[in-house]
Amino acid sequence: MLRRFWWLLCLWCAPLQAAEPSDPARGWDRLWHEYLIDVGIIFVVFAALGAYFMLRYRRRLPDEVGDGPKLTPLACVAWAVIPAFVFIADDFYLAARSWQLWNVYRDVPADRLEVKLESAAWRWDFTYPNGVQVTNELRVPAGKPVMLRMTSADYVHSFYLPDFRVKEDSMPGRVTYLWFYPRNPGEYLATCAEFCGMMHSKMTGKVIAMPPGDFAAWYAEEEKKLAEAKAKKPGG
Amino acid sequence: MPRNTVESSLAPEVEHFALHWETSVWPLVLGVGVLLVLPLPFSFHFVYQQSFLAVLCLGVGVPLTVVAIAGWVNEGLAGHGEGLSTPAMGWFILAEALLFLGFFAAYWVIRLSAPAWPPAGSVPMPTVIPAVMTVLLVSSSFTYYAAEAAHEKGRDDGFRAWLGVSIALGAAFVGLSAYEWSDLMGQGFSIGTNAFGTSFYSITGFHASHVVVGLGVFLAILLPALGGRTSAGLIKAGGIYWHFVDIVWLFVVSQVYFL
Amino acid sequence: MAFSLKEWVFTTDHKRIGVLYLIGALAAFAVAGIMAMLMRIELHSPGPDLTSNPNDYNVWLYFHGAAMILGFQIPALLGYLANYCVPLMIGARDVAFPRLNAFSVWLFFGGIVMALLTFVVPDPPDIMWTGYPPYSIKTAGNTAFYTFTVLLIGFSSILGGINFLTTVVYLRAPGLGWNQLNIFVWSIVAAFVIQLIFVPVLGVAVTMLSLDKYLGTHFFNPANGGDVLIYQNLFWFYSHPAVYVILLPFIGITFDIIATFARNRVFNYKAAVYGGIGGVLLLSGEVWVHHLYTAGMPDWLRLGQMVSTLLISVPVGLLMISLLGTLYRGSISFRTPNLYALAVNFTFLIGGLTGIPLAMAPLDLNLSDTYFIPGHFHYVMAVSGTFAIFGAIYYLFPKMTGRMYSEVLGWTGFILTFIGINLVFFPMMIAGLYGMPRRYFDYEQFPQVAGLQLFMSLGSVVILLGAIVILWSWIHGLLKGAKAPDNPWGSKSLEWTTQSPPPPGNWVEVPKLSPDWGPYAYGK
Ligand code: HEA
Ligand code: HEA
Ligand code: CUA
Ligand SMILES: [Cu+2]
Repeated sequence: MLRRFWWLLCLWCAPLQAAEPSDPARGWDRLWHEYLIDVGIIFVVFAALGAYFMLRYRRRLPDEVGDGPKLTPLACVAWAVIPAFVFIADDFYLAARSWQLWNVYRDVPADRLEVKLESAAWRWDFTYPNGVQVTNELRVPAGKPVMLRMTSADYVHSFYLPDFRVKEDSMPGRVTYLWFYPRNPGEYLATCAEFCGMMHSKMTGKVIAMPPGDFAAWYAEEEKKLAEAKAKKPGG
Repeated sequence: MPRNTVESSLAPEVEHFALHWETSVWPLVLGVGVLLVLPLPFSFHFVYQQSFLAVLCLGVGVPLTVVAIAGWVNEGLAGHGEGLSTPAMGWFILAEALLFLGFFAAYWVIRLSAPAWPPAGSVPMPTVIPAVMTVLLVSSSFTYYAAEAAHEKGRDDGFRAWLGVSIALGAAFVGLSAYEWSDLMGQGFSIGTNAFGTSFYSITGFHASHVVVGLGVFLAILLPALGGRTSAGLIKAGGIYWHFVDIVWLFVVSQVYFL
Repeated sequence: MAFSLKEWVFTTDHKRIGVLYLIGALAAFAVAGIMAMLMRIELHSPGPDLTSNPNDYNVWLYFHGAAMILGFQIPALLGYLANYCVPLMIGARDVAFPRLNAFSVWLFFGGIVMALLTFVVPDPPDIMWTGYPPYSIKTAGNTAFYTFTVLLIGFSSILGGINFLTTVVYLRAPGLGWNQLNIFVWSIVAAFVIQLIFVPVLGVAVTMLSLDKYLGTHFFNPANGGDVLIYQNLFWFYSHPAVYVILLPFIGITFDIIATFARNRVFNYKAAVYGGIGGVLLLSGEVWVHHLYTAGMPDWLRLGQMVSTLLISVPVGLLMISLLGTLYRGSISFRTPNLYALAVNFTFLIGGLTGIPLAMAPLDLNLSDTYFIPGHFHYVMAVSGTFAIFGAIYYLFPKMTGRMYSEVLGWTGFILTFIGINLVFFPMMIAGLYGMPRRYFDYEQFPQVAGLQLFMSLGSVVILLGAIVILWSWIHGLLKGAKAPDNPWGSKSLEWTTQSPPPPGNWVEVPKLSPDWGPYAYGK
């Protein structure tokens, strides 16, 4: 429904939409640059005009008074309506582009790894589909979208991956989600972005994207360890 | 509308203002009183478990507040009246309405997202008492209206009598409310029992505190009136406030008790 | 007239009450500013510096944010400026309810007292100015002080609103029509309407906070049927409109200053008032969810409010056009008040335009709660708002004190602060783009922003120097300034038709206004 609507709002900017952004990080970077250009123009126009007026109309004689134009009613309306429509058009354009990227953020690819995250003061506990649990270090296979379903044991926290341009709060009593796309192997910072007391700034973890083969090996190994631990503790 | 009050009353205005700086001690005293009645005792008692200090604050603050209000009303009745209290009361009601709206919004969000309502631990709500309370409060609006009408016609005895009746009805309302609270708490239903207890006591308590304030306003009208001093503006504004509190009660009783 | 303490402390005169507000607000600014300096010292390098206890930092930050907004900006604009200017601008002898007005100022001081107690009680509040539960309910810190600071100052503002709306509607001088009002008066009307509607909701939110914490209720406790998001929604339902409570009066007074110093009529007055101020008023109440983009709100709410948030650029843009248009064919004099007012045009442009990506929901998913946010709001509020207030203080200085300030000191203070704020608040946005979250005591995991942070800390020293010069210029003017004429700026506005400082009752005889009179009727 929502997705059907956005392009109606911005038919006239069709050329810019050539390539659908494919994941939050790429889409974000692109939209950010569009924003910079769009708003940069507005800034330059207004700032330049202000600077010019300040120079041009400075007072030269002590008794001078300004003689700004007295607008006719028609001019009054025009000076309100025309800029308003220009601004509205730009707002709709930005809204439509945001709408489009929003869908990328919210629609998680079906082919994904889904991990549960429970935050607590001051750590991140992840649970994999096979029941394996880790704290603070999330290992994922590179090249596969990862989705987190999040909740919190105590306060409101916010799971933030700066490199992947995603962040979402985790709250007690509610489940939220986010997804990201680790294309390349590597270590990425995860950190808490919602104030949660004393150790808020120390509530950090890592996302470790591993080559898919390595990940599969690690994953199977952990699963085995888990099973052994369970076997040792009957009923546990 | 009295748009040009300034011009029409120029001479007394000049006399009133231009010769000296106007002063009044009561706003400051009331400000200190408020600080001593609410924030400080609450913090002493609940945050720092210093109940003695809390009582001390109240002991100083309550008389101070009462004196300040009395002094203020006295000054208001004596002097150059603040004749715009009716429109001002309209703005105040707007703010008050939003207060209740905030509480009701939270109540409905909690209630609509609950798996079952009322949640476990609640007790059946009484129906007779709130019905009686409704009758009391609604009739007090009518009696106050009668008091206003009497005042307009200059029948001071009638005015005082009707005002007295309104105060009695309001006090009975508060009394019943207290009785009902203690009854429910006796059955083990308290403010901390569950989300319903939370909403129930905070909304009814918040409303009851408004009734108490309304009664205070009525007393502030009645006491000077016994000595023959009244202010039409104050009477009108007090009435608007009372009717508003009355209407809010209809929301409370319908949404919290019966729905 | 000889100085009489009694006539100040017990005063019910709007000018004196205004000055009392100013004193309280500047005290809050100074203490909160000193907290900012402590924070900047702490942040100058990663790792613990000034203190090794994160809690100290959290308390400074709590006080800084809460006091700057609740104790400084709103009282300075709606307390000091509204009190001082509105009755004078509309030709009234006082507000409608002088004693209520005095009560408001004392409630405000009560709130300041509650806030300052932060520094002397054990377990001071450490919950940030937003006070989100469940942290604020579970912390050992004193949440009650936060609640009562908000309630006292909020109630003070509600009473102020009642007072000023009644005053503007009923006490305008004979013949003063709605389209002849100063823009500042309009902006105060709109700001107080917002206060009356939304402050009560904030009051409810913070009351519930203390009920939950101290009386064991369950409003925000999901384990017992409550919901943590109720608080966030109620809080922002007020606190977003609150930014327009700040914006409107500061833009309003900027209009008045610029029109006076450009000696020019306001460009397209009606568009500014009905389109700009009215538009902001209309939109202000339906955009609060842009603070909750990352909080798991339903998508339709996030996207709907994204569009309305973006649309706020339309009325604000109309205000900007009128501001710049007022310079067009004006006769601009660069006295100190005007320096500040002109600078607002620039700093607010940066601040407002950096609000746009925050409004764009997906961009905000990355920027939210990073240093980009302090960057945005310091430009738009801390800088533009404070500049407008300082400009207004210089502007009204002759009227308030009967003396002139020194133009040299005024310029020096302005230049220092203008440089300083750009050194501090622009790098904040860059740090935010690096991903550094806000409210971090320590940022060892972000070595790439260490240089920027040091730079900001050095820049904050420049602001401090500027602030000291400004303070000095006021003290100097008060003690040594030349005697001020009644209308040093050649303004047409009503407040300059009386003596400096104005007598009790403002005018011996309220000026008579001709139908073509206007506060900006310069030129032909
Ligand atoms: C005076 C205070 C003030 C003002 C006026 C504003 C103005 C705006 N703010 Fe800001 N804001 C704050 C104070 C303020 N803000 C504070 C304190 C916070 C943080 C709270 C906290 O979490 O602690 C915040 C946070 C904040 C957020 C939440 C970010 C987050 O936490 O994730 C958002 C998101 O939408 C936002 C957006 C905006 C927008 C769109 C405007 C708009 O009103 C700006 C409009 C102005 C312009 C756009 C420029 C002029 C217009 C033109 C030149 C016309 C042409 C322009 C276009 C067509 C684009 N602000
Ligand atoms: C109007 C509002 C306002 C103003 C003016 C300021 C002014 C300043 N602010 Fe602040 N700020 C906020 C509102 C404001 N701020 C808010 C709302 C937050 C968010 C809080 C939160 O997260 O909850 C924030 C957060 C905030 C942070 C983020 C911290 C973090 O997230 O971890 C930082 C960091 O540098 C900062 C710095 C500063 C600095 C350096 C100034 C400087 O401009 C200050 C300059 C002032 C002075 C230096 C005082 C001058 C004093 C005198 C002249 C008196 C001298 C007298 C004696 C010595 C007796 N502020
Ligand atoms: Cu967890 Cu901040
Ligand atoms: Cu906002």
